[in-house]
Amino acid sequence: MPLLSVCDLSAAFDTEDGEVTVVDRVSFEIDPGETLGLVGESGCGKSVTALSIMGLLPKPAGRVVGGTVGFRDESLNDLPAERLRAFRGNRIAMIFQEPMTALNPVQRVGRQLAEAYALHAPSAGAAAVRSRVLELLEQVGIPAPDRRMAEYPHQLSGGMRQRVMIAMALASRPDLLIADEPTTALDVTIQAQILELLRDLQTETGMAILFITHDLGVIAELCSRVVVMYAGRIAEQATARALFAAPRHPYTKGLLASIPRLEGEPKTVLTTIPGTVPGVGELPAGCRFANRCPHGVDVCRERAPPLEGVAVGHDVACHRWRVVEAA
Amino acid sequence: MTSYFIRRFMLIVPTFIGVTILVFAVTRLVPGGPIERMLQEAAMAGADVGAATTSFGGGASALSDEQIDELKAYYGFDKPVVLGYLEWLSKVVQLDLGTSTRYSEPVWDTIKDRFPISIFYGITTLILTYGVCIPLGIVKAIRHKTTFDNLTSAVVFFGYAIPGYVVAIALLTAFAGNLGWFPLSGFVSDDFDDLGTLEKIWDVTHHAVLPLMAYTAGSFAVTTMLMKNSLMDNLAAEYVRTAIAKGMAFRQAVFMHAFRNSLIPIATSFGSNITLILTGSFLIEQIFNIDGFGLLGWESLVERDYPVVMGILVISSLLFMIGNILSDICVALVDPRVKFGSGETSQ
Ligand SMILES: Nc1ncnc2c1ncn2[C@@H]1O[C@H](COP(=O)(O)OP(=O)(O)OP(=O)(O)O)[C@@H](O)[C@H]1O
Ligand SMILES: [Mg+2]
Repeated sequence: MPLLSVCDLSAAFDTEDGEVTVVDRVSFEIDPGETLGLVGESGCGKSVTALSIMGLLPKPAGRVVGGTVGFRDESLNDLPAERLRAFRGNRIAMIFQEPMTALNPVQRVGRQLAEAYALHAPSAGAAAVRSRVLELLEQVGIPAPDRRMAEYPHQLSGGMRQRVMIAMALASRPDLLIADEPTTALDVTIQAQILELLRDLQTETGMAILFITHDLGVIAELCSRVVVMYAGRIAEQATARALFAAPRHPYTKGLLASIPRLEGEPKTVLTTIPGTVPGVGELPAGCRFANRCPHGVDVCRERAPPLEGVAVGHDVACHRWRVVEAA
Repeated sequence: MTSYFIRRFMLIVPTFIGVTILVFAVTRLVPGGPIERMLQEAAMAGADVGAATTSFGGGASALSDEQIDELKAYYGFDKPVVLGYLEWLSKVVQLDLGTSTRYSEPVWDTIKDRFPISIFYGITTLILTYGVCIPLGIVKAIRHKTTFDNLTSAVVFFGYAIPGYVVAIALLTAFAGNLGWFPLSGFVSDDFDDLGTLEKIWDVTHHAVLPLMAYTAGSFAVTTMLMKNSLMDNLAAEYVRTAIAKGMAFRQAVFMHAFRNSLIPIATSFGSNITLILTGSFLIEQIFNIDGFGLLGWESLVERDYPVVMGILVISSLLFMIGNILSDICVALVDPRVKFGSGETSQ
């Protein structure tokens, strides 16, 4: 039984041009202990998908307009607010892209950590909470934790802050960690450290991770399965191995081709995908990638392609994947 | 941080010296300055003995040459400017602010009498303003765009749009004049000294209701909207989302996280509010016939009672500096990121 099952999830925002659906019938599953990568260009709806799962869409502008989110045998979208709170931060935890703004600037990090733990362990005494906080800080590799816990977020470096965020997420030993681009705001060496930390923590705790990124390199390092999103829809999903070996969707192919590689001929032209993502107001009726797709034909512009099975555990949303494959 | 505030308090000294130099320059430069005024007064008193209650030292109704010399001596007119300033400053420091030309009593005594009244109204207004505006701003932010929010906005902006003295006159006419619920004027009743403690409290309160309403009506809008907008900004902040992602209820996140952050702009504006309120509003004081700072300043200006005007200038600039320091203390209390001075880590 999957840990998390997202089925036909759609989310919309109220804008000046009326309600715009920014996530359109997205489905995927995460097994216990698994790391699923969610990848796509900026603005394709990765964060909105994650926030919809957590029930954290900004109110009142954003809302889930369809689909279900199941966690084990419970359906999260039917739960009353206070039942949902028992999942948030407890069974499902989340970390964000900007570790500076994600922490309260006027509260000591120790207190913010203690709060994360105490919320789901109301019977824990002050001493128990404190020792758990120290343990967590140590677990995420923060030196001198007893001194650090008395500091304010602005006194920590970006990497340290993200470690604090991770410690906070781990406080109640969650089954699922949703990591929304946790390394995007950090510089490269720190990125590598945080990725390694996440990998170690996963082995240690056995939690599942939904890892959101626009960096396929990170996916290759961390994830067993990948969901590729494009303009609010799933374009392709497969195991990481299959996706890197034999991408089916023209968009995935483009993404892979645009990763700079060290091996191979130097000074080759770095390929990019021509054109731009259609804006939320100008989404075409058919395949959303059609205007940038080298293989686009009339049917692509008219009808949205359904997700089709290519192989076991490998789906693609493209009318022409067979043709593309042959080419 | 403590050392920062010690330094700030010490900085009062040079600032104060700057202010006194300005004030002193005024006594020398402005035509119709204190000496000239004194001479006129003396001449008028000489012409109309009945109206002249002005008397200096003895019971004489006109200024003797000796007394004029005394005045000149107070402002050091008989000395070089620098020496005159220094001597005057040493008197000011000892609270010898000269003699009021209108009341013929030491300026310090005149000002001192007004202090309790101004401080009473100032502090009550301050407490009322923050006591109402902060909770109101919070509720308005949480219930943004509801009927409650729109209705209270209309009310506070109505109060803001009407000048305080108009509110004062309207309240006075309606509740004191027509209905007779409140006394017409004054800070306390004439028989105040004969009253018991409880009756005294009641008497002051009874007199204060209408003026306080007039004072606060206009100040609600700014602070309430500042609180509301500041809290709304913080409610949309990512750390509030983090708190909710931890499993906190929205309301809890408002008070545990957003609230303190949203107080930062309020704390910043605290200092200027203190001084504004302590110096009072002469129009409202005039209407309710309250002998506060504002009225005193206004009357002294109109009557060209320069010693009092100078004294008020000196004292209100001191208050202003203290207000600023208080405001910085408030900001430092709510925001740990504010680091004062160098080489310190806020622990
Ligand atoms: N509060 C909002 N109001 C209106 N539209 C929004 C809001 N938040 C997001 N959107 C829209 O939803 C779409 C998806 O945004 P989302 O933040 O999920 O992108 P993303 O894939 O996470 O991108 P990034 O890699 O930049 O984080 C975007 O087109 C964005 O314009
Ligand atoms: Mg995002």
